[in-house]
Amino acid sequence: MPELKYVDGYPEYMRESIEVVNRTRGKRKDFVPDAMTAEEREEVLKVHPDYAPGGKRELALGPNAGDPVPGPVADLLEAYPLIDGKEIDLARADLEVDVMVVGGGLAGTAAALCAHDSGVAKDKILLVNKLRHGDCNSIMAEGGTQAADRPFDSPDRHFLDTIGGGHYANKPDVLRALVEDAPTIMHWLEELGAVFDKEDNGDYVENWGGGTTARRMHSCRDYTGLEEFRVLRDEFRARGIPKLEHSPAIELTTDGSGRVTGAVLYNLETGEYRVVGSKVVILATGGFGRLHIRGFPTTNHYGATADGLVLASRAGAKLRDADTVQYHPTGAAYPVQIVGFLLTEKLRGAGAQPVNREGEAFVFPLEPRDVEASSLIRECYVRDNGITTPSGLRGVWLDTPLIDVKNGAGYIDRQFPAMKRMYARFDIDMRKDPVLVFPTLHYQNGGVETDPDGRTNVEGLWVAGEVSGGVHGKNRLMGNSTLDTMVFGRRAGISAAQAVASAGAGERTFQHVTSYVRTLEEAGVATDRRAPMLLPEYRGKAALARMIDVL
Amino acid sequence: MGNQTGMMERISESTRSLTTGVDTKDVEHWVMIYIMGRGYRVPADLTIMTAMEFAGYRLIRSCGCRQGFCGACATIFRREGEYKLESALACQTRVEDGMSLVQIPFSPADAASYDIASEAYAYSVFSKHYPEVARCVSCNTCTKACPQDLEVMDYVQSAIKGDFGGLTEQSFDCIQCGLCAIRCPAEIVQYNVAQLGRRMYGRYGSPEPAHLKARIAEIEEGKFDEALDRLAGASTEELEKLYAASERESDG
Amino acid sequence: MTSENTNSPRAVGEASRSKKTRLPYYPGCTLKTTAKNLEDSALATAEALGIELVELPRWNCCGVVTSLTDDDLMHHVAPIRNLIRVQEMNAAGLADGETRLVTLCSMCFNTLKRSNARVRERPEDLTSLNDFMYLEEDYDGSVEVVHFLEILADLGAEEIGRRVKTPLTGLGVAPYYGCTLLRPKEIGIDDPERPTIQNDILQALGAELIDNPYKTVCCGSYQTVQDKHAVAELAHGILTHARAAGADVLTTFCPLCAFNLDNRQREIVERHPDFETIPVLYATQLMALAFGLGPESCRFDLNFVDPRPMLSSKGIMKEEAWATRQA
Repeated sequence: MPELKYVDGYPEYMRESIEVVNRTRGKRKDFVPDAMTAEEREEVLKVHPDYAPGGKRELALGPNAGDPVPGPVADLLEAYPLIDGKEIDLARADLEVDVMVVGGGLAGTAAALCAHDSGVAKDKILLVNKLRHGDCNSIMAEGGTQAADRPFDSPDRHFLDTIGGGHYANKPDVLRALVEDAPTIMHWLEELGAVFDKEDNGDYVENWGGGTTARRMHSCRDYTGLEEFRVLRDEFRARGIPKLEHSPAIELTTDGSGRVTGAVLYNLETGEYRVVGSKVVILATGGFGRLHIRGFPTTNHYGATADGLVLASRAGAKLRDADTVQYHPTGAAYPVQIVGFLLTEKLRGAGAQPVNREGEAFVFPLEPRDVEASSLIRECYVRDNGITTPSGLRGVWLDTPLIDVKNGAGYIDRQFPAMKRMYARFDIDMRKDPVLVFPTLHYQNGGVETDPDGRTNVEGLWVAGEVSGGVHGKNRLMGNSTLDTMVFGRRAGISAAQAVASAGAGERTFQHVTSYVRTLEEAGVATDRRAPMLLPEYRGKAALARMIDVL
Repeated sequence: MGNQTGMMERISESTRSLTTGVDTKDVEHWVMIYIMGRGYRVPADLTIMTAMEFAGYRLIRSCGCRQGFCGACATIFRREGEYKLESALACQTRVEDGMSLVQIPFSPADAASYDIASEAYAYSVFSKHYPEVARCVSCNTCTKACPQDLEVMDYVQSAIKGDFGGLTEQSFDCIQCGLCAIRCPAEIVQYNVAQLGRRMYGRYGSPEPAHLKARIAEIEEGKFDEALDRLAGASTEELEKLYAASERESDG
Repeated sequence: MTSENTNSPRAVGEASRSKKTRLPYYPGCTLKTTAKNLEDSALATAEALGIELVELPRWNCCGVVTSLTDDDLMHHVAPIRNLIRVQEMNAAGLADGETRLVTLCSMCFNTLKRSNARVRERPEDLTSLNDFMYLEEDYDGSVEVVHFLEILADLGAEEIGRRVKTPLTGLGVAPYYGCTLLRPKEIGIDDPERPTIQNDILQALGAELIDNPYKTVCCGSYQTVQDKHAVAELAHGILTHARAAGADVLTTFCPLCAFNLDNRQREIVERHPDFETIPVLYATQLMALAFGLGPESCRFDLNFVDPRPMLSSKGIMKEEAWATRQA
């Protein structure tokens, strides 16, 4: 292949189409395609990775036997444990606490803080992390947090937008908790000192999100999750609540009659295990983007490998809506170094349009995410109006310069420093040129079923955040995930703290693991797969092929 | 939509190197990089992070979000023929031929304990918790070290001046990777100083909007209970009708 | 205003009668915090005089810091970087070609001016500093560091007197200088032994000038951190001599002198129960009052010994103006 010539970060051949986009911008400035009807949505969703043929299979066993889930998820739910218990001395606990929180994103950190606020002594709380406290999806959330706090808006409007976007599969009592607590969460963040975008008069700047009928997105530039998370983490640190990093939970323990009583942790750096006994366990382990379902790149952090689903499911927890996966409509498609990285929906909220190779706006920019993503896939692979990158990916343009045209020069500088910085690192100026986008695996819509306090059907086990299922139905709206993490992190923390008061420490056994292995064998699952996965495998194939273990 | 057969497979094939690790046979251009002094031949279009993985490293430290937000992958590197040590995020920086690098996965920096609710909103909060800020010699080394290209020295100076708003504005995009503190000759923990300053500004300098307080009161009074009861108990058909009829707020 | 006359201090007075003079201004950290009373009153005063003091963008610490390295050139990075900011300010069209940088804090004045003198005398040092600050444009040595007192002196007593609405009649004012405005003499703005630069100005305000032989005696400087009682003794000498000479108040331009002479009166009273406290003011606070700019530009709340009772008793300030604010 001949060397490509690059102009302002793009190969010359891509610039031809960019010039078309730049030329047509004036015409598109005041033209926005109509939102789709219910029938049009249904039609375009046929190309969505969730609904396109293949990709799923029914679970052969477990609490959700018979339910279809994506193949890579089924592979993990039908896999053997990393440890069988014989090599572990479960009776001797290295540490005994009242509340163990597994996972340190927004949900886990909020849970620990609220358990502490609700009277659990700080030394009776333990937060464990697979990687660092902060290696999580929360910190990468860009666009915003929903809360219906403006006079025009209302919690019931928020409810209706969310359940409509979720294809009416959302669990109503849980969804109600989400929308009713949203303003309280904003208040909590204010008290802790989070800095949100505000108008000159002190009101919040509130923007559109896909599928919302009111402006209710609260943002911190395009670093919303970063700001929310680092404030919570700073508060956690300042209080001196104990934590263990690089120590994923690799199995829960139960007391033999179904109640969760602790977990076995694994030190990723030394290989040593630890047994922790806990009166209650809150799983806040996040989602599964790193499973690369249907081969998609992902916006997710390094550790998003569905560990919580595996652990909870083995302990008997029921999942719901685990068949649906959220593909964010606008992942970066070029340059190759950032493929799959998130381009916040806030860009479209601020006026950026998806545009095809011919410079045509082909979709209403703020459809619910599954509809918007499907529309981009259709434009690239069915209508063949996409642009192919040097590494063979297809994408359409996101016309980012339109943002400054609509909002005035300097708007991108102020509101999208993260996006601008990311592209500038690869010599692209998103204020002048559009950027190439294609859907990217973003979010686990479903997960472990809960009540409005994050309680699961398993005694002693709470979940919060992306690992849970129900609140978003079969498709989450923008700005509802950071909200979800804090609403249910907080509720789980408070509710677990109440439960601790009347709970004693339980015996620690692997009976649930043993019986799970037996079910696997009975179901005839012959495999060497083991779970939880902990980390994805990205090592070069050549290096892997020659690795030996001698030390 | 007849031609969607194989569409998912085509998408999957186009991203295979990104999702499963790079196969040597797909690589056209190569560069040499030196990871802690040892040379590796790696594909030219990888980032420092993915190049290390290609070379065989299974990352446990120095790898978090992989997209420039978490600050885990702070890296110090030097270009061939240069004397300067530069800093970067491994996940956001393309490898260059002759690049020599090391990662700084952790900064054992001091972080003060405080209760934000009981601190006085005054410049003295910095001298109380981080008195070393006064030692800043304005050498600007922190600014040079920042992989986010923030004016770090300027925000430290804002702390000294008690300018909470300026500090917030200047430090807002900080991902707390720790490189500033590692290189500071005055031993200031810039990113923790900024964290304290931003929280002070958030709590005291940028008051909670009245419309938020009003809404919380309305919810507590039960103003929306009836509407929410109705929605929570509605059938899918009823919800579909309500959803279709819901009017979007005017943009004006 | 043409570019020729901006470099002539004399031109300021003439210009201020017709058009505002814009001067780059360096505040220093103390003026943003404990010496806000110096800044506010000086800015108000300057404005009344037709001078706009435009705060230097991105200014940093003047450089008065604890030693961190043996190579003392490092200490000059901070001051010289501020002088580069003046060049940048001009390049951005914010300073009308003005190369003077006005300071109010005498410590900042001293540091910035000495550092400027050093790099002018030793070009090799300037080269080293410029090399070290390679991200900035080179400093070319063109900036003149001046103190606000010099600007006032150049304006002249007549011009200042013209602005007075409430003369300070009957108020005995003892000017105090300390060291940093005067020493070393190469950079000082007046005779280091017998400074008089405040005299004309105070007299133009209608004050009764009290000559205090202790006006250049050391206030104790940073010893105040180590040994507040030793400093209180020095301050006691300065203050009692001023009082004996007939002073009602003292004036200064140095926040550190102000702290030692004013706040240390707490310790003086402990040791010398018969000591009668005496207000210590920034000269600009008195100037603002004389100009009729009102107490709100003076931030008397930051003065340790409240000067308002004294000023009211002399009829310079209305009693209710501060009494109601206090309530």
